[in-house]
Amino acid sequence: MRLYSASSEETLRARKLLRDWVGEGFVTKEQYQLLDKETVSELRTTNIFLRLVLFLFTLISVGAAFGLFFVVFLSRASDQTVGVFLVIFAGACYAAAEIAVSQARLYRYGIEEALAVCSVVFLCVGMQSAFFTRVYSPRPDAAQFLVPAAGAVFSLWIWRRFGRSYAFLAAMIFVVFLPGYWTSSHSAQHLIIAAFYATGLVAIASVRSRHRFDYLDEAYSLVEALLWLGIYLAINLKLLSLDLPARWWIGTPDTSALFPRPFYWGTWVMIWCLPPIVLARGIREKDRFVIAVGAIIAVLTLISNKPYLRWLRHTWDPMLLGILLTGVAVFLRRWLARGPGGIRHGFTAARLSGKDKSWINVGATVLGPLSPQPPAPEPSSPDFHFGGGQTGGGGAGGDF
Amino acid sequence: MAGYGYGVPGPENDGFMTILTRLEQWREQGKISPEQHAHLAGLSRGEPFSLFLELNVLLYAGVVAFVAGLGWTVSTWSQQIGDVLVLTALSTILTASFWYCFSRAPTWSTAETPAPSPMFDYVLYLGSLVWSLELGYIENRFHVLSGQWDLYLLATAGLFFFLAYRFDNRFVLSLGLSSLAGWFGLTISHWSGDLDAAYRRYALLYCLLVGVGGALLQRRSLKAHFFGTYLNIVANVLFWAVLSGVFNREGYGVWFLALIIACGASLAWGLTRRQFAFVAYAAVYGYVGVSSLFLRDVNDGTDVFGYFVVSGVAMLVVLVQIGRRFGRKA
Repeated sequence: MRLYSASSEETLRARKLLRDWVGEGFVTKEQYQLLDKETVSELRTTNIFLRLVLFLFTLISVGAAFGLFFVVFLSRASDQTVGVFLVIFAGACYAAAEIAVSQARLYRYGIEEALAVCSVVFLCVGMQSAFFTRVYSPRPDAAQFLVPAAGAVFSLWIWRRFGRSYAFLAAMIFVVFLPGYWTSSHSAQHLIIAAFYATGLVAIASVRSRHRFDYLDEAYSLVEALLWLGIYLAINLKLLSLDLPARWWIGTPDTSALFPRPFYWGTWVMIWCLPPIVLARGIREKDRFVIAVGAIIAVLTLISNKPYLRWLRHTWDPMLLGILLTGVAVFLRRWLARGPGGIRHGFTAARLSGKDKSWINVGATVLGPLSPQPPAPEPSSPDFHFGGGQTGGGGAGGDF
Repeated sequence: MAGYGYGVPGPENDGFMTILTRLEQWREQGKISPEQHAHLAGLSRGEPFSLFLELNVLLYAGVVAFVAGLGWTVSTWSQQIGDVLVLTALSTILTASFWYCFSRAPTWSTAETPAPSPMFDYVLYLGSLVWSLELGYIENRFHVLSGQWDLYLLATAGLFFFLAYRFDNRFVLSLGLSSLAGWFGLTISHWSGDLDAAYRRYALLYCLLVGVGGALLQRRSLKAHFFGTYLNIVANVLFWAVLSGVFNREGYGVWFLALIIACGASLAWGLTRRQFAFVAYAAVYGYVGVSSLFLRDVNDGTDVFGYFVVSGVAMLVVLVQIGRRFGRKA
C-alpha cells in the first residue's frame, strides 16, 4: 500500500540518526564517513526550506492551471460541469503525485505533497459543486455528508500511501463535519466524533506495537497523539466554540443549556480523567508526542475547569498556572538529575540530541519577541500618538 | 530474521534492516566499538529517554503565563493595590531574577557559553520581561519620561543587548532586537508627512545598523553564534521594506532594483553557506515583488492565471535544480 519501500525509509532514518550522533560526538567523523556510505537511499530528499518553497510553488502552479482552464473553457459552464472537471483535476493531481514518487523518487520533496493535497481539495470542492450546489443551505441535503466522508477517506488513503501525517490530521478535520448531517443533537455530534477518533485510536494502538523500533514508530506516535487530542477536544465542551474563551473572562458562558446535565457533567469528569491516562500511556511507551499531548490537555483542563464550573476567573489565574508549570518543570528536572547517572526509570533531563538544541534556538529567535504585553500608560499629551512600537521592547507595546 | 519489519512484508523489503540490526552489524564488522554499540542501541530504543526539550518548553510556558498574569493583574488592580505595593512586588521579582543571574553566571567568554543551570535562561527571561513591565508601569503612573517612549525603548534595547551578550541568551537577544525595532518605529511616529516612506527608510536604517553590528561582532568573535539570529531578522525586515516600495504606484523602479539585489545576495549567501532559509526568502519575496510588477495593470483572468502557471512552473524548475545541486541534506 505504501509508495516507499520499508528498506528505503529505514535507511533514511538511519542516515538521520547518524547525522545526529556525529553532531553529538557519539560517533567520530571518520566513523560517520564510513557508515554514511552504507546508508545511501535511492529516494530524492531535500531540506525543509526548499521543501516548503517547492510545496508553495506547486500549489500556485496547480491552482493557476485549474483557474486558467476554468477561465478558458468553463466560464459559462454549469456548476455540475465545473464539479466534474474538478474531480478530473483531482485524479490528474493524484496521478501526478504517484508518478513523482514512482518515477522521480521524490520523498518529502514538497512537489508530490502539494499535488496530493490539491487532489483532496479538488475532489471535495468538485463533489460539492457537481452534486450539491447549495453550499450554505440551512437544511443541507442529507447525502451531503458524502463530501466530508470522501475527503476523510481520501486523506486517509494519502496518509497510508505517502506517509504524510498531516493527511491524517485532514481526515480528522473532515470527520468533524460528518455528524452535523446525521443529527441535530449537539451531544450526539460530540459523541460521534469522539467515537470515530476512539475507533482510530484502537486501530492505531493495535498496529503500532509491531513497529516499536522501526521507521513507522514516529509516524504512528504522531497519529496516536493527534487522536488523543481529537478525543479530548471533542469532549471538552468549553473549547468547542472559538468565541467561548473570550467569554470566559466576562462570566459563565451558558453552553451547559445546549447539553443534557448528565452529558455536561460526564464530559467534565472525562476532561479530568483523560490527561492522566494519556500521560501515563506516553510515559509507559516513552512516546514523545503522546506525552506532549498529555501535557497540553492537562493545561487545557486547568484552563477550562472554571468555565465548566461557572466560577469567576481571576486575573492572577495565569500567574498560578505559570508557577505550577515552572514548579513541575523544576521538580522533574531535579528529581531526574538526582537519579544514578541522572537517570530514573529510563528517563533523563539531559540533552541527548542536537535537534533539541536547534529547536530551542529557533524557538528563542521566533518566540522571544512574542512576549506578554505590559499595561499601557496614557499618552502624556493629546496629540501624542504611537504608531510603530507595537512589537518592541520585550513586549512593551507601543499602542498606549 | 531479527530486525525485519513486521507488518511491512513483500518483495520491496529486501535489505530492510532496523537501526538496531544495523548497529549490531556495524559492531560485528568493527566499525563501532561495543561501548558505542551499547550506547547507540540504547538511544535508538529510547533508553534513556530525554525529557530535555519538554522541560524547557514547560519552563518557557511557565514564565510567559506568569508574566502575562502579572501584567494583567497589575493593570486591573493597580488602583486598589496601590503603587507602593505594585512597585515593591515588581522590583522584588526583578531584583531576585537579576541577582540569581549575576550571582551564578560563569566568567564571561566571547565564545558560546552553556547556561550554568537549566533554569538560568528562563530566570533571565523573566527578569527582562518584568523590567519591561515595571518600566511601563512607572511611566504610566508617574510620566517620568514625559512621553519620551522612544528613549525608554532605546534604553531597554541597550539593556537587553547587554544581558544577552553577558549571559549568552537568545531569548533576550530577540527581545533586544525587537525593542530596537520598536524604537525606530516609535521615532517615526513623531514625524508628520509620508509615514510609509519614513517607515521604509527607518526599516532600512535598522537593517543596516543591525546587519553591520552583527557582522562586526561576528568578525570580532563576540558571541559569533548570534549572527544567524541577526541575519534572519535583518533579511525579513529588509525584504518587507523593499517590497513595500515595490508595491508603490510611483517611484518603484529603485525599489525593484533593490529587491533584485537583495534576492541575489540572499540566494548567494544561502547557497554558499548552505543556509537554505535565505534561498527560500529570495524565492518567495522575489516572486511576490516580480509578480506584483507584472500583474500591476493586468485585469484579464487568462493573463493572470497564465502568468502564475508559467512563473510557478519556472520557479519549480529552478528550485528543483538548486535542490539537486545543493540542497539534499536536511
